[in-house]
Amino acid sequence: MSALSRHKALDAIWKAPSGWRGTIVSVNHSDIGKRFIIAAFTFFAIGGVLAMLIRAQLATPNSAFVGPDIYNQLFTMHGSIMMFLFAIPMFEGLALYMLPKLLGSRDMAYPRLSAYGWWCYLFGGSILIASMAFGVAPDSGWFMYTPLSSKPYTPGINADVWLLGITFVEISAISAAIEIAVSILKLRAPGMRLDTMPLFAWYLLVTALMMILAFPPLILGSVLLEVERAFDWPFFDPTRGGSPMLWQHLFWLFGHPEVYIIFLPAAGVISTVLPVMARTPILGYGWIVAAILALAFLSFGLWVHHMFTTGIPHMALGFFSAASALVAIPTAIQIFAWIGTLWNGRPTMKLPMLYLIGFFVVFVLGGLTGVMLAMVPFDTQAHDSHFVVAHLHYVLVGGFIFPMLAGAYYWLPHFTGRWRVPRLGETAFWLIFTGFNLTFFLMHLTGLLGMPRRVYTYAPEMGWTWLNLLSSVGSFVMAIGFALFVLDIALAIFLARRMPRNPFGAGTLEWAMPVPAPTYNFASQPHVRDREPLGTEPDLALHLARGEGYLGQTRHGWRETMAVDTVTGAVDHIVILPGNTRLPIVTAAVTGCFFLALLFGQYWLALLPLAGVILLGWRWAWALGSREDIGPVTIRPGEEAPIHRESPGAPGWWGASFLLMADATLFASLLFGYAFLWVVAPGWPPPVLIEGGTVPALIAALAAIIAALCTRRAHTALRAGLPAAASTALLGAGAQAIAATALIGIGLTALPAPTGHAYAAACWALIAYGVLHTVLALLTAAFAGTRIRAGYASPTRALEAQVARLFADYAVVAILLILACLLLPRWLA
Amino acid sequence: MRLLLHISAGLIVWAAGFSLLYALHGLGCESGWHQRPFMGGTLFRWIMLSTWVALCLATLAIAHRSLRLPPGFTRKVTVGTAFAALAAMAVTGAPVALTSACL
Repeated sequence: MSALSRHKALDAIWKAPSGWRGTIVSVNHSDIGKRFIIAAFTFFAIGGVLAMLIRAQLATPNSAFVGPDIYNQLFTMHGSIMMFLFAIPMFEGLALYMLPKLLGSRDMAYPRLSAYGWWCYLFGGSILIASMAFGVAPDSGWFMYTPLSSKPYTPGINADVWLLGITFVEISAISAAIEIAVSILKLRAPGMRLDTMPLFAWYLLVTALMMILAFPPLILGSVLLEVERAFDWPFFDPTRGGSPMLWQHLFWLFGHPEVYIIFLPAAGVISTVLPVMARTPILGYGWIVAAILALAFLSFGLWVHHMFTTGIPHMALGFFSAASALVAIPTAIQIFAWIGTLWNGRPTMKLPMLYLIGFFVVFVLGGLTGVMLAMVPFDTQAHDSHFVVAHLHYVLVGGFIFPMLAGAYYWLPHFTGRWRVPRLGETAFWLIFTGFNLTFFLMHLTGLLGMPRRVYTYAPEMGWTWLNLLSSVGSFVMAIGFALFVLDIALAIFLARRMPRNPFGAGTLEWAMPVPAPTYNFASQPHVRDREPLGTEPDLALHLARGEGYLGQTRHGWRETMAVDTVTGAVDHIVILPGNTRLPIVTAAVTGCFFLALLFGQYWLALLPLAGVILLGWRWAWALGSREDIGPVTIRPGEEAPIHRESPGAPGWWGASFLLMADATLFASLLFGYAFLWVVAPGWPPPVLIEGGTVPALIAALAAIIAALCTRRAHTALRAGLPAAASTALLGAGAQAIAATALIGIGLTALPAPTGHAYAAACWALIAYGVLHTVLALLTAAFAGTRIRAGYASPTRALEAQVARLFADYAVVAILLILACLLLPRWLA
Repeated sequence: MRLLLHISAGLIVWAAGFSLLYALHGLGCESGWHQRPFMGGTLFRWIMLSTWVALCLATLAIAHRSLRLPPGFTRKVTVGTAFAALAAMAVTGAPVALTSACL
């Protein structure tokens, strides 16, 4: 087969239909990644316009440009858009587009999930933006502190828009995190060991794992606050045993790791671009990996530094102050590795390098003010002032936007296949760099002069006038710089000259393909032996195009890509990926209807789209699979491997495991909240405890244990080829139904009303969690049983039963813990 | 996954230990341990100090074990994270000895 006919055959399998139909059904990672990037940049532009309105208002004292109500919406939406609709989705888009190419793979592990995440992001983001047009945008600040965001102080739907809209968007983030983690661990090119992966993949792996652990506390907090607002369950109301501090803990448990979740992918871009600009391999690969891991862990021990002025005892302040200062060390290790690489190499001052120098200047300044704010006495003085605004912008713009702009110019030829118009990009850089520093450096001074953040105006005698005016001028200079950047990119896409492959002489695999990238990335997948495969084998692209790697031949119209052992990179199996489908957009639309029904208070109506999501989920999983064993197939001459359905370590199992990891974090956050209220909140111990409930609790525990045993037995029977597997799985599903009913029975018969005290509300939240998980375990067991009956499972095709077993095991552990939380206080009392 | 857990072992112990110290701090202050005299100090101070020392010893043991690994990528990363965890445990837990209790 010639290279051209191979290209045609592969493209026919991997491409989406042209026109609007292709837009709707495409699940290809390059399409979805580019959409994420474009949408994120559009949201960035909207957030930027809001920032300019803020600066227009603050440019002069006693300004009448906007009133306080609109101003509150402006700064809330600016922060929310930049954090949730720009930074995270931008890195997700880059990861979705670039990761398979860097790893030598043809796509991500779950293409339909990528598409579902994309549509959820688009719909959720659109709800948030639409709320501005209707004048009901969130207005309580991007961290939505209670009681300001509680019903008595925000009676409109402004806060609900934030809580539901952000939770909707978070589905997209969690989906992407699971997909990124599994893709890095399993879908690499054969031979690529963990220690020969590009550093960018290490950064994204750690970031994805951080997202899996950091986002659930925010989702939990948002759900609890929405339930408080909708049904008056007083989780955060101190007059009824709640605590506003609980919200702050849950929010910042997410919020501080979020800063590093934003920084780490950008640092991955730096570690990819900088060695190419310096024309030398990066220094200290192993130490950088250690520093990334240390940074990730330490970042979870800093959240209380956002709460230093809330009256927390000195010793606890000491823990978090020390951790906040300490986190600078692994960050510094990376900075020194990058400086050492520059020192070691022969740097060339191309545009990406210019942005990297901008990063060094801005981020190091932001890091230094971060260490200042980590010190409790200084933070007490500067808290909630413009000094903090300056610091966070230095960290986030320096640590994310400058590296991403470097990446944009570095990979622009990859996206477009074209060069750029000379000098325009350099002018844009200097405008952005100068405008940024003029805007935000001066904010340190306004902050130290006492200007609080989030005030919509100030009196001239405060002495902040000139500094604010100059800041505003700087912000407009920066905006002109970004406008030039957009113009530069547009010119590059439409007018610039074509460019050769690999223009910077990089050694990583994304350049071992034609540009713009074909739909399938690699005509055949490479065997990787070192960290810079293209550096050691410059003709690699040619060999791959000739089909000399893995999977060089097409068969059955399958979308195939290789899966490897997570550590050694040895061939494990072939993954057959799903093709174009409408399921993601339909499921996302129905999910959106669920959130909209909640937003407008139509709670019974919300059950309808919820049922729709369950049905679509069932259909989603049912659409894959086969009624017969296929056995090993050829991957290249003389080598064979099984397909993923007949392999125990298939991506489906990994995805389910990571999903349960996120779920367990949410559960741990709920248990933390329950314990926190017991220990810290006023009005505890509660006036009324649970009364009785022992019998339904015993039934729930027993039913959950039996259900887990049945599901385990079904899996074992399937593996052994016994006929009882299907009925045993269905029996497990039935037992789950009994467990769910018994759990609800405890609430109805033994607990006080959830509106009276936070204790009852928390107990009901635990019961709701337990019921949800018995239902999930029921559905997975029922699905496994039905699939076994329909012939989609065999001793070698047992993945679905294995996943059902995971869910049943998780449910039983969760239920036993929930029952302990419900009954122990009564027994101890 | 096992490799990731292995190279992160020290940091996992730090994370668990840090959470434990913070939880004990909340529980101790709420239960009035700082008002109960014990061995020349208070029950609160002794519990916090002994927990911190035990955690430091645990991370020290992990750091020591990491030095015995064969040379290569895994050793380099494990040594780096283990010693980072040891330093983090020593520094972030130090307030149990240096600051006032429950104020």
